[in-house]
Order: sequence, then C-alpha cells, then structure tokens
Amino acid sequence: MATYTLRKVLSLIPMMLFISFLIYLGIELMPGDAVDFLIPPDALATMSAEQLNAMRESLGLNDPFLVRYLKWLGGLLQGEFGYSIQSGVPVATLMKNHLPATIELTVTALVFSSVFGVLFGVLSALKKGSLIDQVFSLIGMAGVAIPQFLLGLICINAFALHLNILPAGGRMASAGQSFVERLPYLLMPALVLGFSLTAGVMRYARSSMLDSMGRDYMKTARAKGIPEWRVNLLHGLRTALTPVVVLIGFRLPMLIGGAVVIEEVFQWPGIGSLFVNAVRSQNTPLVMMIGFFSVLLVLISSIIVDIVTAFLDPRIKLS
Amino acid sequence: MSSLDRKMDRILKREESGKGRRGIKNRTLRKIFANKLSIAGFVIFAGILFMCVCAPLFTQYSSTKVDLRSILQAPSASHIFGTDKIGRDIWARILYGGRVSIGVGFGSALIATVIGVSLGTICGYKGGWLDGVVMKLSEVLMAFPQMILVLILVTVTGQSLWNLILIFSVTGWPSMYRMARSQMLSIREEEYVQALKAFGIGSMRIAFVHMLPNAIGPIFVNVTLSTAMFILQEASLSFLGLGVPLEVATWGNILNVAQDLTILKDAPWIWLPTGIVVTLFVVSINFIGDGLRDATDPSQIG
Amino acid sequence: MKRKKLFCLLLAAAMLVTLLAGCSGDKPAQDTAANASQPAADGGLGETGGSAQTSGGDAQTAGTPLADVRVRQALAYAIDIDAIVETLFDGKAEKAVSFTAPGDWLNTEIPVYEYNPEKAKELLKEANWPSDYTLDVVYYYDDQQTVDLMTIIGQYWQEVGVKAQFRKLEGDLAGQLWVPPADMVNGPAAVKWDLAYAAVAALSESEFYNRFASTASNNSSVPAQDGLDELIERSNATMDTDEQKAAFKDIQQFVAEHVLAMPLYHQVCFIYTSNDLDTAGSVFGNDQFSYEKNILDWNINRDDHTMYTNGGPQEFFWYPMVNPGYMLSTELVFDKLIRADSSLNPTDGMLAESYTVSEDGLSIEFVLRDGLTWHDGEPLTAEDVKFTLELMLKAPGTNAVASETMQAITGAADFMSGAAGDLAGVAIDGNTITVSFDKVSANALLVFSQWPVLPKHCLENADPAALQQDPFWQKPIGSGPFMVDEVVLNNYATLKRWDGYYKQGTGNIETIYMFASGENDSNLVINATAGKIDYAWSKSTDEAKAIEALDSMSVNVANIRYTRCFYINQFPHEANIK
Repeated sequence: MATYTLRKVLSLIPMMLFISFLIYLGIELMPGDAVDFLIPPDALATMSAEQLNAMRESLGLNDPFLVRYLKWLGGLLQGEFGYSIQSGVPVATLMKNHLPATIELTVTALVFSSVFGVLFGVLSALKKGSLIDQVFSLIGMAGVAIPQFLLGLICINAFALHLNILPAGGRMASAGQSFVERLPYLLMPALVLGFSLTAGVMRYARSSMLDSMGRDYMKTARAKGIPEWRVNLLHGLRTALTPVVVLIGFRLPMLIGGAVVIEEVFQWPGIGSLFVNAVRSQNTPLVMMIGFFSVLLVLISSIIVDIVTAFLDPRIKLS
Repeated sequence: MSSLDRKMDRILKREESGKGRRGIKNRTLRKIFANKLSIAGFVIFAGILFMCVCAPLFTQYSSTKVDLRSILQAPSASHIFGTDKIGRDIWARILYGGRVSIGVGFGSALIATVIGVSLGTICGYKGGWLDGVVMKLSEVLMAFPQMILVLILVTVTGQSLWNLILIFSVTGWPSMYRMARSQMLSIREEEYVQALKAFGIGSMRIAFVHMLPNAIGPIFVNVTLSTAMFILQEASLSFLGLGVPLEVATWGNILNVAQDLTILKDAPWIWLPTGIVVTLFVVSINFIGDGLRDATDPSQIG
Repeated sequence: MKRKKLFCLLLAAAMLVTLLAGCSGDKPAQDTAANASQPAADGGLGETGGSAQTSGGDAQTAGTPLADVRVRQALAYAIDIDAIVETLFDGKAEKAVSFTAPGDWLNTEIPVYEYNPEKAKELLKEANWPSDYTLDVVYYYDDQQTVDLMTIIGQYWQEVGVKAQFRKLEGDLAGQLWVPPADMVNGPAAVKWDLAYAAVAALSESEFYNRFASTASNNSSVPAQDGLDELIERSNATMDTDEQKAAFKDIQQFVAEHVLAMPLYHQVCFIYTSNDLDTAGSVFGNDQFSYEKNILDWNINRDDHTMYTNGGPQEFFWYPMVNPGYMLSTELVFDKLIRADSSLNPTDGMLAESYTVSEDGLSIEFVLRDGLTWHDGEPLTAEDVKFTLELMLKAPGTNAVASETMQAITGAADFMSGAAGDLAGVAIDGNTITVSFDKVSANALLVFSQWPVLPKHCLENADPAALQQDPFWQKPIGSGPFMVDEVVLNNYATLKRWDGYYKQGTGNIETIYMFASGENDSNLVINATAGKIDYAWSKSTDEAKAIEALDSMSVNVANIRYTRCFYINQFPHEANIK
C-alpha cells in the first residue's frame, strides 16, 4: 500500500504542473488585465501611457507570459504563495481569512448529508416499497432536481423574510461571536447545501444496501440464526457503506470552492465568493492558488478514496 | 445467483397468476411503460417541451415586450403569472426562456455526447497512444471542481449563449468518454466482435456500426441526465450573473431578479412559477432517465 | 427494436427543434421591426446638412448617420424618460435635461427633448435614417437594472424605427470606450460603438464638460466643434463661481442644442440612518465625497457607544487617489486641509487653520494648525503636505479633477519627468505652505477640501505606481477624528475615537463598527433589517425601497452630481453590426 500511495502521489506532480499551466494560460486569455479592474475606466482614460506602464511594471504584468508563469511556479516551490494583485495582501492570508467560513459550511453540510443520507437510504432499503421508501425517494428526487439557489431563496423567503426567525444571510452579526451565537447564520445555508447533497448519498446507500441484502453471506448469517437487525447492521451495512464512502470521498474537494452558489445566495464570506471575485477582477495569484488547491484536493481525495475502499473491502486490491 | 432466483420466482408468480406476455412486444418499451414514474416524467417533459416549442400558441405576449404601464402586476386574467419589473409577461418569459434553457441543456449534452462517445468508441476499441492522450486529457478536465472550471472558462470566452454551450460541452465530454470507453472495452472481448474481425471488416466499421449500438442504452441515459444537469447549471450560472447575457430570457435569468430581497418577499410570482417549472422539468427528465436505465439494463426483470 | 429507435429518434428530434428555437430566440424582436420609418428614396447613408446642423467640421461627409444632429435629436425624442424614472427607478431618480442637475448651475433655457415619438420619426425621415442600420450600443455595468433600462430604451427606439443591439463590454474598458481619434476633426473614430451608456460621477461641473473639448484625453466621440473649446477654456480659467456658472450655462446650451451626448437621468444618493442615531441636526449631502458631518457631535443610543456602518475593508482600505471620500472610513481617518459643506463647497480650514488665495488666483497659502500629529503620535508637518501633492502626481488613477489641479502646480511637468527632484511650486516656511500655479486651476480649493494629507513617514518608501498594494493600506494611519483600531479583512473593522484630535465634540460615539463591503454592499439590507446599520449610504433604488420599508430606519435623499447618459460616437466609423 505504501508503494501504491507513493506512486500515486508522485504521478500528481506532472499532472499538477500541466494543470497549473492551463489555469495560468486561461487567466492570460481573459480579456484585459488586472489594471483594468484596479482603476475605474474614467480614471484610466486620464492616465498617461508612462503611468500605465509604470503601474504594470510594478505589478509585474509586463514580463512575457512564460516568465511570469515560471516566476509563479518558482515562488510556489519555495512555499511562496504570492500576493493579491488588488491589495498586495499575501494570498495565504486571504485564504486563511476565507477558509474557515467555507469549511464550517461544507463540513456541516457533508456531515448532515452523510448521516441522514445513509440513515434514510438504509431505512428505505429495509422497508423497500413501503410508504417510507416512497416518501424518501420523493425527497431524494427533489434534492436532485431543485436548483440549490432556488431552495436557498425559498428558505430565505420563508424563514427570514416572513417568519423572521433566521437571518437572511451573512455569517455573523458582530465580531468575535462564538460558534453557538453564529449558529442561526449557519443553519440555513448548511441545511440547504446538505439537503441537495443528501439525495445522492441516499440513492447510493439504498441501492448498495439492497444489493448487499440479497447476497449469500447474508443468507448464511440468517441461517446461523443471528437476529435480523444484527444481520442487517453488522453484515449488510458494512459492505453497503463502501460505495457510500466513495461518494463522500469524492465530495471532499467541496471543502474548497464547492459551495460557490450557496455562498453567493447567503452572502457567506467563504472561498467560493473570494474565487468569484478573483476571477472577475483577474487577480491571477489568487485564482491560481485557489484553483491549484482545489484541483490538488480533488486528486488527493481520489487517492484517499482508493485506499479507504481497499481497506473497507478486502476483495479490492490496489495496483 | 440470488438475483436470478428472485427473477425466476417472480416470473413463476406471474405465470401462475395468469399474466403471461401480452401487449407490447418490445421489451425495452414495455419496461418503460410499466414504470409509472417514467410515464409521468415523459408526460410532464413532453408537455413542457411542447409548450415551449409552440410558445406563441400558449401566450399572446412576447417575452421581450416591455410595458411600463403594467409593471410588477400580480397574477391576473390578462397576465396569468403576472409581470416583472419592466412589465414583461412572466408566462411568456417562462415559455420563451424555456426554449433557450432546454436548448442550452440539450445542445450541450448532445455535443458532449457526440465528442465523448466518438472518442470513447475509437479509443476503447483501438487503445494505443491516442487512448492514452485522451485519457490523460479527460483526467485533467475531471480534476477540476466543475464550478471552478466553468467560472474560469466563462471569463475567458465572455458571456454568450453559444459560449455557454461550448463550455458545457468541453466540461461534459470526459464522463461520456469514460462511459463509452468502458462499454467498448467490455464488448470488445465478445465473440461476435472476434468473428467480425476475422471477416476482415474495417475496425471503424466494427466499432461504430456493430459495437456502438449495443452500448446505446447507457449512452441515452447519460444524455438525459446530462441535459438535466446542464439545465441546472445554466440556471445557477445565470443566477450568479455569469451565464447567458441578462437580456436573453432564460429560466436562470428570470430567477436572477430574486436576488433583490424586495422582489423575493413581495413578488413571488416572478420567481416561484419559474422555479417550479425548472424543477418539474428536471424531475421529469430524471424520471425518464431512471426509466430508461432500468429498461435498458438486461439484468433487471421485464 | 425498431420502435425503440423510433422513440429515441422522436425524442431527439423534439429536443433539437427546441434547441434551434431556443438559440434563435436570443435575438429578440429587434430584428423584425423598423417598419415605422420609411427608407428614403435615395437611401444615402448618413447624408447630413439641414437646418439644425450649425457646427463646423467636415462631419458632412462622415460615415455615420449619427453625425446628423437630427438623428441624435430623434433618438432623444424617442425615449420617455419620465415613464422610466417613474417605473424602473420607482420615482427615486431625476430626469436629466443636461448633465448638470437642477439648481443654481443649470441653464433653464436649453432645449429639452420631451418624449415625442412622432417628432422623432419626422426627424429620422428628414435625415434619411438608413432603416437597415443597427445601432451598436455598449454598456459596462452588470446589474439587472442597467439591462432592464437598455431593454426599455431599445424598445422605444424600435417604436420609431431604429434598430439597436446592446452588448456589455468586457476587459480593457478604457481602451474600448475613451480612446480619442488621431484626427479630432475628421476622425475616423478609434472606438467601434455607436452609443455608449455611461455614468459620470462628477466632483465639479468641469468633470461633465471638459471631455467635450477636442483636446480631452477621453473624448472618443465628439468631433471638434466651432467655439466649444473656447467655452470650456473659459469655464476652467476662473475661480470665481459666478463666472464659472455663466460659462457652464453656455456650454450646456451648446451641448444640448447639438445633442453632443444624451443625458438620461440623475441618480440621487440615499443616506440611511437608524432611529438609534442622533445626527445632531447635521445636513446630509453628497456622500460620494467628504463633507463636514460633525460626527463628533453625533449620539448613539447603544450602551457600548458603537455606531454600525459598512465599508469595512475586504482586502484593504481604499487609497484616496481615485475616490477620496467614497468610504466613510477614508473620510473619518484622514483629514483634509480645508473643510467642505454638504454641497461640497469649500468652507473654513481643517488641518489648515486658515488659507488665502492670491488676487490672481495663481497661489494659495495654507497655515497649518499648531501641534498637529498623526494617529501614531508623529508630528504632522508641512513636509507631509508637500509629500502628498507629489505622491498624487505619481500615483496611478488620481481622479481627473485632482490630477488637473496637481498638474497646474508650478514645476509639475519637471517633477513628473524626473527633471526636478521635487515639486518646485510648493514652498514651505515653518507651518506655512504656499502652492503656486502656472495657470489658474478652477477646482483647486475643492481638491484641497477632498484629497487628504498622507503621512510621509509611513509612505515615503512606498512604490507610487503600486501605491494601493502597499501594506500601509491594511491599517492606515491618518490624522482624522477616528483612528483605525481593529481590522479583520473581509469581515469587519473598527474605528476608535481619537483623543488627540484638535477638536472635541459633544457626541458619544466611541467606536465605529464597519462590516466589510465593496462599493456595493450586498449585505446592506440584511444588516439593516437585523438592526446592525446606523449610518450608511448607497445609490441603489432597490436598497432604498427595501430600507424605507423598515420601521427602524429612515432614508434621506441627497442630490449628487451623478448623471447617466449615452455618449454618441459622431466620428466616422464602420457600422459594427451588419
């Protein structure tokens, strides 16, 4: 397993090089450059060519494309994440400021969706065809089909604007509030995000539970006289969980930038909204870092998923 | 073993109760029609599709006609879903907007499928360096969180209807490719393929004419599900103001105005019916997709 | 199997039809119209002349129908701005007849193009409007309201038989919008569009009109006009308000008569105050800039003596070169030399105890107060003032009005080119600073009442070309009544009442808590609803409407120099849409 992991991790290096180059190229191809977003057009029109040039020079925008990319890469290798073109603030500081909000939101949603997804999915499977099963599958379908932002709007409309029991958005009312005080702010976005994630987990859990319930070892277990609930729980659930874990694993990358839409709807000050702004203002160092880390997280999650599945299901061999 | 057991049990039960085979002969169609949900899905789907395509039959208004004398009107006999902030008829906007939204969703799914399936078929059958290159490319694209890739691409290309279709196609083909490739890999080993090869039939012909039709079921399921996904993505992007330019009526653009809390609270007729139509349409496509999946899956009883 | 194929085929066909219908549906009815205007018999493109054309230049041979003043008048006649203001802006804007808002500065005699579609059609016919021409109209705002406005205007033009397509510009806006042609008389245009929707946020009247001069660096649309340059020159050559007013009224007349641009509406500024806040009778004014609010006299009815507002730093505190008073933080942390009242008229001294303008208007003498210090305790001296003026010449994006004043200072050109090590026109004698000018700068006092003095000891090593990126702006040090206390980027920041200020007020506000926000605060309504906004302002009619509905808040309206308009490209250019 160690060699497998090592080989996989090493194979990430050329991949990440290529991908980071692609993102850099993408930003390069966007119309205009950072200066166009730093200075309003009216003021830009009154600036002399020398002034503009001096500004581009100071911001390092005048170097050829490849030189800039290599500089960025060199910086990264030395653990230097660069500075926001807008403010000169280290990118690492910006990410540190925004990451807690996103993680708070996505972890809550992931935990919520995993727990309830598995619970409802297994229940549906055990009571296949019953009313509960049908209700759950209806909820699941709604979770897949209602656009996240629409559900968000409906909830804001109901709980914030009409019932007035939850805040309509934002993360905290004033500085230094503890997690418990912030909870009302977290509730709606996390539940809305969690709801749409639950559906997937539920469908997976249900079908893999059904699958494992029909297997021979379950019959064997029953034949041995083990009580039904123990059979289901100990033998059925364990194998049924494997694909569910895979699904949840593939959702880990959401920790960065996966909640863009929800963050916009609820004005949640996380990485998602930071990224949207960075892309809009062509803040290259910032876009690069967020892009880079979200891709890295995707690739690392898939390795973790591989390892965890091998661990859960002895039949799978890593190769 | 066990699924075979269950299958036999059920067939036996049916035989005993006197419900032998009759009616529709085609197994796939029969299975689709046996699935009530997918029928319901198809009816809703066809209904919405028909109303959007034949929009002028269902509304006298144009989706772009501004009427400043009747702004923000609640639903009434003349405007069944009311009017928006500049007096455009919401019902007309839903219908005409549906054309664009469905068009974007289906168009992107179709292009992504054509690209993905062709590449998958060729690479899956032939393998070799091409397969290696395309596989790496798809890995690169799939390494991006969807939204992040789409956001970067939208900014690079600028906002327009065709650019959005292009972007969805670019981001959507890898999964089609993977699916088609794995199908081809498994079919490749079957005996009839070996036989065709022995007859000296060209490999492209074998791949596209003789092998591909056997994989059409999963492909079709994927087209429907991708259409639903792209419709949702278009709505989300337009909601962020990064999708189709705002002057074009699309489902997402109609919903965009709900960001204004006053509209959200006091004028639900602007966004709620649109939201319901989007949801219904996506649900119906999903039902059809599910039905198709069950119907084309030979391991399930029919 | 056959049936299954048929089924699939049908489904696919149906969706394909939708796709085609949908994708062709994005070009609304604009293409189909234009039936109202009859193509003229000869159909000559852009043939001009006619009675109304009084201006000189060789616009007659120009390759654009917009060179004909009758076409421009027709486009103005065709739009019912009153209806738009009433509906789209909910009555919370003012119809514009000129760039200048109603009041002392407006010439009431100028021609007004009231909504009159019949007249518009007539003029178009007279001018042989080519009915196959499609106007290329550009804008650069991405809000829903702008798009709605464009849609409405497109429809008004369509009703008089003018086709138009609207597009949003991306990327290098200045390059696409404001590049003047090499030949300011004959063109051709250096920009592609026919009309450009824009906003002018003017600090002074001159900002509205200087751009019509043939020498303006941002005049991309108006060819040199007989006599206009002289009028504009006259308005800039005096510091006397009455002479300025007379000059501007002449310019307004000229611009309106020739429809050199099409003013649409004036935006107003909404100032929101909570019932917990007692503003001690202060007059509210143009909050886009700094004016004396007497905030030291304000009282807040909260136990912690904290006033809540927005405009906290997302990534940094804005440097004041572009917008000196847009954010409340800039206004309260940095003091200016001169105070301004709510109409932005310079009043008495602020950092300067007194100031005197010489008889000929070519020099201004400031005497600084004794014992001034910065928030960090360092003394604030005349050297800081001189440093600031030099920095404003070198920093990017300095506002046009300020930059014009700075460049009028004696020795500015030499300093900019590097020929001189310092700015010769600024002389220091102890607490006295004398600024001398090569030519009269009409807005000098206004500039000194808006642009703050910056600390030399903090910024002398900063790179002027990347001033905003200097760490100073993470937690700036100023000399104003409030100092920056705590900063959590993109979250909140607090300002603390500074006891070292030269003046003490009667109010009780000890802390100002600022939610982080950009120019547009999408959380404003949410925070106001939650009772966490005591003072804020915005220009959004939607926000004003929402906050008006709150019992705990009141909305005050102030007029500002902020005019939305169309610039009309009258230089010859190829039709961009064929």
